[in-house]
Amino acid sequence: MTTDDLMLPKARIPYGTWGSSYFPAWQTSALAEVNIGQFAGESMNRILGLRGVPKSQLEYLVIGSTVPWHWKFWNAPLVASCLGQRIPGYHVEQACATGLQAVLLAGAEVQAGTYDVVGVLTFDRTSDSPVGVFPERRAHERTLPISDVWDNFGFDPATGNAMITCAGKAARKYRTDRREVDELAFHRHEQYFEAKNSGFLERVLVPLDVLNVQGRPLGRIDDDLGVRRLTLGVVRAMRELDTCVTSGTQTHASDGMATLLVTSKDKARELSPRSEIEIQFVAKTEVRTHPSLMPEAPLFAVQKLLGKTGLTMADMAVVKNHNPFAVNDVIFSKVMEYDWTCMNKTGSPLVWGHPQGPTLTRVLIEALEEAVSLGGGHVLVFGCAAGDVGIAAVLKVS
Amino acid sequence: MTKTMREPTLQTLGLGTVIDIFQRGRMPADAGGLVEKVFGKSGKRGSMVISGANGIVGAGKTMQLGSRLQPYGVRIVALDFPSAPDGIGKQYPGLVRAFGQDNANKIMANITRLSYDGVNLPAELQQLRPRFLLEAIPELLEIKRAHYKIFREAFPDIEIRSVTSGFPSSELGVGIAHPAFPHEINKIWEVVEPEPSAVTQLFWALGLIPLPVSDHWSFVLDVLFCGLTLAGMRYHQASNMPFWKIDKFTRKLVGPNPFRAHDAIGARGANFLTWSCLHHLSEKYGEVFKPTADLIERKETGQNWYPLNHFRPLVDWSLDTDQQEEFRVWILGPLFQMTSLMLQERRAHLAHLNAIGELCAQFRRGILAVMRSLGPEAVAQTVKVYHRLHPEAAGASWFPEVLGQMEASEWQQLYVNAEHDGKVGVVTISRESYNGDVDQELNRALDWLKAEGIAKVIVTGDFHLSTQMVGADTSDFFPALEKVEEGSRISSGWSRTARRLNDEFEISIGFVGGKRCLGGMLELLMHCHYLVAVEGSELGMPEVTLPVVPGMEGCHWPFRKTRPDHWPRVLELLLSGRSVQASEAVGWLVDHVGPMDDALQMAWKLATKGDHRVSRRAVESSALDGIPKELPGLPAADAPGTEAARRAIVACIDDACHTTLAEALTAQAKHSAEFMLSSACREGRIGAEYTRTMAV
Repeated sequence: MTTDDLMLPKARIPYGTWGSSYFPAWQTSALAEVNIGQFAGESMNRILGLRGVPKSQLEYLVIGSTVPWHWKFWNAPLVASCLGQRIPGYHVEQACATGLQAVLLAGAEVQAGTYDVVGVLTFDRTSDSPVGVFPERRAHERTLPISDVWDNFGFDPATGNAMITCAGKAARKYRTDRREVDELAFHRHEQYFEAKNSGFLERVLVPLDVLNVQGRPLGRIDDDLGVRRLTLGVVRAMRELDTCVTSGTQTHASDGMATLLVTSKDKARELSPRSEIEIQFVAKTEVRTHPSLMPEAPLFAVQKLLGKTGLTMADMAVVKNHNPFAVNDVIFSKVMEYDWTCMNKTGSPLVWGHPQGPTLTRVLIEALEEAVSLGGGHVLVFGCAAGDVGIAAVLKVS
Repeated sequence: MTKTMREPTLQTLGLGTVIDIFQRGRMPADAGGLVEKVFGKSGKRGSMVISGANGIVGAGKTMQLGSRLQPYGVRIVALDFPSAPDGIGKQYPGLVRAFGQDNANKIMANITRLSYDGVNLPAELQQLRPRFLLEAIPELLEIKRAHYKIFREAFPDIEIRSVTSGFPSSELGVGIAHPAFPHEINKIWEVVEPEPSAVTQLFWALGLIPLPVSDHWSFVLDVLFCGLTLAGMRYHQASNMPFWKIDKFTRKLVGPNPFRAHDAIGARGANFLTWSCLHHLSEKYGEVFKPTADLIERKETGQNWYPLNHFRPLVDWSLDTDQQEEFRVWILGPLFQMTSLMLQERRAHLAHLNAIGELCAQFRRGILAVMRSLGPEAVAQTVKVYHRLHPEAAGASWFPEVLGQMEASEWQQLYVNAEHDGKVGVVTISRESYNGDVDQELNRALDWLKAEGIAKVIVTGDFHLSTQMVGADTSDFFPALEKVEEGSRISSGWSRTARRLNDEFEISIGFVGGKRCLGGMLELLMHCHYLVAVEGSELGMPEVTLPVVPGMEGCHWPFRKTRPDHWPRVLELLLSGRSVQASEAVGWLVDHVGPMDDALQMAWKLATKGDHRVSRRAVESSALDGIPKELPGLPAADAPGTEAARRAIVACIDDACHTTLAEALTAQAKHSAEFMLSSACREGRIGAEYTRTMAV
């Protein structure tokens, strides 16, 4: 594959300028108390400071989130003010695809030559999500109050089904075996704890101290709270909520933020602590599958992506996905004939949670960091999103 | 023939030495005479005009000078544009608090407010006979010059001073009287004039503190303050650390929080002034002063440095040891470099240069005291490392050679001076609170007097920088909150210094010439053989309210110097924390009280063994019996900490008095040091200040 074949040949992700908060489960940390937009802005500034990137380098900001937050009307410019840099920008939202989509859109800004340094900042607070009141005179209920996270998870207006129903339906379609799903979920947890114990996570996750309004400590965000070390026996003993879906084989809601930069080639060299590393955008696909079969959508996105690029799974140095249900990975492996133990080696959202906006950003950051530690190669990142959507992208680390 | 350790700062005002004051038995200048000189005789008395009187500076100075000049019949003319928002009216509540309703009304009634269009002076001004213009209009050179021109055309003999914070007198064509924030109460004025003028001496006689500085861009205060702000901005650029957090680390390191100060003063005006000072300084002195992009943006927008209230900071920042060192270099490096420039240009008497930071910019210790404690090599090394971080700053305005003079007495005696006439010595303390620097300098001053063969000494404030003596600088106690050895070192060290006044001189006199003498300063002066105070001054031991246990022998020394029937009064002083009027303490705490001239004359008589008829109270060196442990009628403590401190003070009195004088010092130091580790102390004012300042 040549540079001419790259999706965004002018765009780069400067290695080592990224960072993510830990993702504590909802209602377990100080993040349940904050304006997450402000937290994300201030955290991005802190992370850039720790990475040695002056915030004055930022020219534009693409933010991504899915749960409404206080003063969201003011959008990226407000978040930019919170990080201390008055720059323009906009907001992108595509459920759990938000994190990857935001990075790709930032790449498009660089590719277009509009900016040399674009910040990507994704965040969400699922804790105590706001309740929207929607006066709709044609609806028989007249006025509908919606608790943003809980009510949306429970009801896809296009199909009338809940998220969990998608997982069960897909499991039945692909005749997945509960035992394999349980083993996969257990293995994913083991992968996470292995990465954590090895110190890998500390290379991408940044502990952050949260203050109350008096300026006193409110809490330290330094762990993916809610992640439990499970035994296979415990996973197997869990009550099935739908086919192959238990509380151990599905993700949980969490809060957090994740950020990275997308820049021109020259700026990447200038800003990265290891300028010899180059990270390029190769290709991206999105698909929408049949109603309520969301877990198969990422598979189709990857198949389409491989067909488009001529790459094979064997070409991938790192494979990592957003997997809210363990059945996602089982279906992917079954159809692609790909060993599921070879993917998500440093953990995945199935284990560390699901704050939506920043989920795929953290997946991407971990995948790129893993690729660098392996000496480079192609990185396949993919995942599902509300609306039976699958998204996939390939990046190249060299 | 008077000999001085270093030049007394009063001399910079043309007011002679401090020993002159005692020798003559009167102050070197009186306000009435100087008012006559500046504003004319009564009946033909002219007025003072303050232009830009509704601005922050103008309104503050209208109050400060208006309240002082009103008793002399000098009318204040407050001049401003008709559209200027009322800044003077806002000052009225403060005026009432300070002077009471009736006096506040008199002061306000003495202010004539006039409007003008910036070009033509109002006709009414003529009949008000302006004699002195204090210009406080915006910091734009051409506008200021035009302003002086219209005044000079109308009133050729008028004295003019500009409050400019940056422009030299040579650029403006008028003298400078640059005041420090907050303008209604801060007494400091940087003064630029060829020779000390009657206006400057009048300011001094009115209780203000004029400090002569040289005619260089931004003088001293704004080199320090704007320079420190700039250093914070540069660190922000280098690290992304938000300004509010830089403020906290800066406060921990040196004392001020410059960004908060900008917001408190009013960001729009303060940002412009800081930019203006730095812009002009950088044009003359190079990159070390160059404003950053953040400042230029805020100069134009007037944005605050701190987030708005609904966006109070959410994510904290911390620094590891290496990062703290880098922060130190980013802040102190440029400050040291800028100070070297000011020293090279001899911008001020070193005591002034040092004090301006403390009195006007919240420095815990003056910049010269900080540099002196580090030593020349460490200072030069800090600047060297700073230049590695900011190479452009190395090109100009760095004068390491000035650090070689650090051993000279001008550097060594920043807070304490000594003078003598061959027989009597005078030690002057120019710092209102006692700290380690003062202690060391006082010892050097006493050594010097002894080496000069002086056996009689008066210890006093300096009649210039220090207008009162408020006690110990409690920030010196911060290490003592962690380690008992630190508390013991401070208490016993300072007590030994105080004892020298009793032990090593034939006659020693403590002189209280200001509004009050409290805590550690009172403990120091009570070690003198005699204590003389000016009428109206207050004496007190407020330690119990902080709470701490007095550390400089306050729990036994005053008992040893007075009769048993006075012991309850001493106990009350210690346990209530309330001050007493000096006149109520004659015979048991003070030896003489009188009006200023009388007190000065008595101090001199005591020192020269004149006919003073004051008997010397001996210090009882054996153990005392019968010290009361309770005080009938003492109101209940208003806080648990106060109650704990009372118990600790009583225990300290008990131990320190029931032993010999020789042993008492150790007993007192032990109690004082141990109490500083207690939860009562840590939860009290000092502990709170320590947490606020040091636990960043």
